Amino acid sequence: MTADSEELGLNDRLSLIETMIAEGRRTTESWGWTFLLWGVAYFVAIGWSAIGNAQVAWPVTMIGASIVMAILISRTVRSRPQTTVGRAMRAIWVAMGISMFMLLMCLGISGRYDLHLFVAIVGAMLGMANATSSMILKWKMQFACAVVWWASGAVACFGNEIQTSIAFLVAIFFCQIVFGIYCMICESRKRKLGGAHA
Amino acid sequence: MPELPELNPVVHGKLRLALLSLLSGVDEAEFTWLRAKTGSTDGNLGAQLLKLEEAGYVAVEKKFVQRKPQTLYRMTEAGRAALTEYVQALKQLLGGAIGS
Repeated sequence: MTADSEELGLNDRLSLIETMIAEGRRTTESWGWTFLLWGVAYFVAIGWSAIGNAQVAWPVTMIGASIVMAILISRTVRSRPQTTVGRAMRAIWVAMGISMFMLLMCLGISGRYDLHLFVAIVGAMLGMANATSSMILKWKMQFACAVVWWASGAVACFGNEIQTSIAFLVAIFFCQIVFGIYCMICESRKRKLGGAHA
Repeated sequence: MPELPELNPVVHGKLRLALLSLLSGVDEAEFTWLRAKTGSTDGNLGAQLLKLEEAGYVAVEKKFVQRKPQTLYRMTEAGRAALTEYVQALKQLLGGAIGS
């Protein structure tokens, strides 16, 4: 082996280490579909509430969406590696989900629920979760979603019922449906690049 | 001429180096994920992981999830130290080659 080829071999090794570390750290988990799932679930619950049975529509739809998500996650994430970032992300969203579910369920049962309060709580909590995720992932697009959720929460505090409803529907559409599809496209591109690399 | 460092032979193997590098970026990883990322065969991957385990560079945990066996690998502190030393030695060697 010549000095040049030895040097090339060593360079290759350094490059291999860098590539593999990046490959391991890269978020291989796909969560875009969860945004889409919850966006659809919110629209279903809103539509169902508009027809009637608002007190049943929200808990049933939310519990249904949680069950669907749990089943799909248990089927898809089994072989994926655990990363610190992944665990931090899960912690944020699980804690947010439990807090929101508990608070809204208690408000519903106590009869103190109203649209303004509901959208203000959902806007603030989803804004917080999206903002925290975006800061960890350094993802401006997700921070924009957080701003939209915060704005919808603010509109709920100052606006009338129609303005609050419109703000909520707009936030769901952009931050769940559009952002979910955007995430899925990004994840699909990443997977293709990963496949080409392997 | 300054003495050049020796490269750790356990880490130096291409597949073992790839495995240690992969594991350095995650908390723990399943056998199937390591196989997919390295494109290695079951036999070769198992043999290389065993060498790393014997050297104390990776720890193995076997369990059942939904009645299916799952083998999880994680890098030990010794493994992390070995990889760090290896990278430093590699950089030193490359620096020496560039400088000469």
